[in-house]
Amino acid sequence: MPPKEGNPSRDIPATKSPPVKTGAARVAAKVIRVSSLLSEDNVSIAASAADKNAVLETVVKGLCQRKGLGAPQPFLDKVLEREKGISTTLDTGLSLPHARMDGLADIVASVTVIPGGLADPGQPDLTIRVMFLFFSPNKPEFFQMHLQLLHRVSVLLKGALLDQVTKASTPAEVLELIRKAEK
Amino acid sequence: MVRKPSRRVTEVVVLSTAMLTFISFGRAAAIVICDMASTAWYVGGIALQAVGPAAPWFILAVMLFSTCVLALYMEGSSMFVRGGVYKVVKEAMGGTLAKVSVSALMFDYVLTGAISSVSAGQYVAGLLNSVFPLAHVEWRLDPALFSCVFALAAVGYFWRQNIVGIEESSDKALKIVRATAVMGAIVTGFCLVTCARRGFTWPTTTLSFSPEALGWLAGSDWPRKVGALGLLIAFGHAFLGMSGVETLAQVYREMEAPKLKNLKRAVVVIFLFSFILTTSVTFFAVSIIPEGERARYYDNLIAGLAMFVDGPHWLRLVLQAFVVLVGAAILCGAVNTAIVGSNGVLNRMAEDGVMPDWFRYLHPRFGTTHRMINLVVALQVLTILLCRGDVYVLGEAYAFGLIWSLVFNAGSVVLLRFKSQFEREWMVPFNWKVGGRPMPIGLLFIFLTLLSVGLINLLTKKVATVFGAAFAAGFFVLFLAAERFNRGKARDQHREKLNLCNEATVDDVLKHMDKPNRVLVAVRDPGGLHHLSKALDDLDEETTELVVLYCHVQHGMSFGGDIESLGPEEEHLFTRVVEVAEKSGKSVTPLVVVSNDPFYAIAQSAQAVGAGEVVLGISGRVSIEDQLERLAMTWGALQKTDLTPVTFRVIHRNGAETEVPL
Repeated sequence: MPPKEGNPSRDIPATKSPPVKTGAARVAAKVIRVSSLLSEDNVSIAASAADKNAVLETVVKGLCQRKGLGAPQPFLDKVLEREKGISTTLDTGLSLPHARMDGLADIVASVTVIPGGLADPGQPDLTIRVMFLFFSPNKPEFFQMHLQLLHRVSVLLKGALLDQVTKASTPAEVLELIRKAEK
Repeated sequence: MVRKPSRRVTEVVVLSTAMLTFISFGRAAAIVICDMASTAWYVGGIALQAVGPAAPWFILAVMLFSTCVLALYMEGSSMFVRGGVYKVVKEAMGGTLAKVSVSALMFDYVLTGAISSVSAGQYVAGLLNSVFPLAHVEWRLDPALFSCVFALAAVGYFWRQNIVGIEESSDKALKIVRATAVMGAIVTGFCLVTCARRGFTWPTTTLSFSPEALGWLAGSDWPRKVGALGLLIAFGHAFLGMSGVETLAQVYREMEAPKLKNLKRAVVVIFLFSFILTTSVTFFAVSIIPEGERARYYDNLIAGLAMFVDGPHWLRLVLQAFVVLVGAAILCGAVNTAIVGSNGVLNRMAEDGVMPDWFRYLHPRFGTTHRMINLVVALQVLTILLCRGDVYVLGEAYAFGLIWSLVFNAGSVVLLRFKSQFEREWMVPFNWKVGGRPMPIGLLFIFLTLLSVGLINLLTKKVATVFGAAFAAGFFVLFLAAERFNRGKARDQHREKLNLCNEATVDDVLKHMDKPNRVLVAVRDPGGLHHLSKALDDLDEETTELVVLYCHVQHGMSFGGDIESLGPEEEHLFTRVVEVAEKSGKSVTPLVVVSNDPFYAIAQSAQAVGAGEVVLGISGRVSIEDQLERLAMTWGALQKTDLTPVTFRVIHRNGAETEVPL
């Protein structure tokens, strides 16, 4: 599906655009709490994972089932389509597969810890250790939040916290580590 | 063990060029005034020798006509940021005639440097010869020899200033113009008091040509029989009062935003300054200096004026000293203008492949086209040595280049009105509809006036015709030969020359910036810089630095060593970046980084320079959403603290914008 021009948070026609004071300080957007999107149900530890797509299939199915989103296939298709675009994996070891879905009312997310690491198929030199999957509503007003979530998760899950999460033995421990970090 | 790969910037290069230095309208006007207003120090003497005491009326006419010529240059500049006679004539009449016009113009520039510096030397010699007896020094300087030595020193000084760069030399020009304004006000004050006491005498309107002034028409009765012909001859002898206008087109490229508004302001300042100074001193000189004494001061007329105003002798000597010092400064400023202007013209030709690429290499330290400056200065030095301090000969020869480059320019601007593909922000007024078609009446009047003066000068100014034609022909042959030599080597498109400054890390780029805020604009496609134009339009240049980032993507994890030169695609891209910056009149800091991931490069560079805004264009390959998502992820992965707000701004080709604050 081709990207929609109207999706971004603010599409301002050039003729009506207010004067932009570049470089001026801007009000920081409301900080999204990553932990508020998660519960123990949505956190899993994949002790043995060999293929990213297989992990995605499992996680998407589980998320759809637990959140009552209906058939998982459209969700899986959308996230796999997005995976064909610019990489969603960072060199910190975090992977952020995501998609914007029509008909979705709010953001849904899950975390999968891969203690043994998993090679990213698009960038074999990168190893995925934590996968944060999420779907957001395909509505213009949600796009900013969508980007802020990507930003927030990549700020949060890196360095020492990512190492600790990778070593966690239970979903509860993972969740607690994230909550603590967000405090 | 988990491998820790790296998506990081490994090499950082800051690009620099003098082409990205912009100056205020005041500084731009000062550079032009240094040439135009400096003629006040010698045009009166030359015109008086040629046409007699009626000369001030013709200087008045020439200075009034200068508004038309300035308007002509405004229209040319509003079409081409890198304009001037070469560009305008080339677009209208083709490359050969453009080379002819520039050959004539080069003659003007070379002689401007020579006549201005020699004239300054004459003024200084005159002052010293007045002062020595008072100080009981029994020396008497040979004005011709002294003026030659002085001229060489002045040319040498401004040669160095231009090698260092435009900002340096425009600063000097501004100081000189301020001093000239003060001097003009003081001299005018003395003259007004003198005229109030003695009465003011208007100059005669009767022409009395010297035999030299009629050139090949000497002995003919035509100038007396046909009154208009005589008027035109006299007008031609005063025409050098308008010297320096081409420099306006050359400095327009460097004028800061808002460009056209600043150009209009500069034109008003140039006209008022030159008109008031040149016209008033000539009228006062004829009224105040007794007729019998006037000839003694033809080479330093304003100094003579200072010596004949009312006041004690010591005060008049002080006034003369002040006039001479300021005169020497502004005349030397004209040397600078000639170097700046000719460097600009030669640059336009070199960009077009007419001059060998060798001339375009930048000075390793100052980023100026030093080889072109060297060429012009060498020719000025040669002219000074050949003229042996004779201002009249230089003045007679001088007008050839000026008038013929103006004729070509005016003819071309007229022709371009009928080739309407060029967008104009401003047009010479008086465009009336004749037979349903718009006719540029104002432009045609300017062109026909200039052509008439040019043709009459060919007959009356023997020295100018012979030496000007020979010099212009020589330069034309040189340009033709250089173009032929360069033909196989010239690129299809002009490439800006840029100096490369390798930095160890992205953080080191900060030392190149001194404004509190920063905006980073990522560029990739030379044909898609609409987002850079928009970012420049919105830029508050007082407070915000604009960094233009290009990421050279290199796959793999290990690469090293400094970037020695830009590839052809990168050169093309940054040539366009410089053009866009020039058009807006705002400075940018061009940056090239090498990375294996462009989004990491953008995020890392933007964070390193403390950018509050990152501007992207629309990529033909990747959707906006994907670009913004990847940037948001990498931004977070690299961010040391998540407190610093940033806005991602995507600018579409149609001007629509997408702004996302994080």
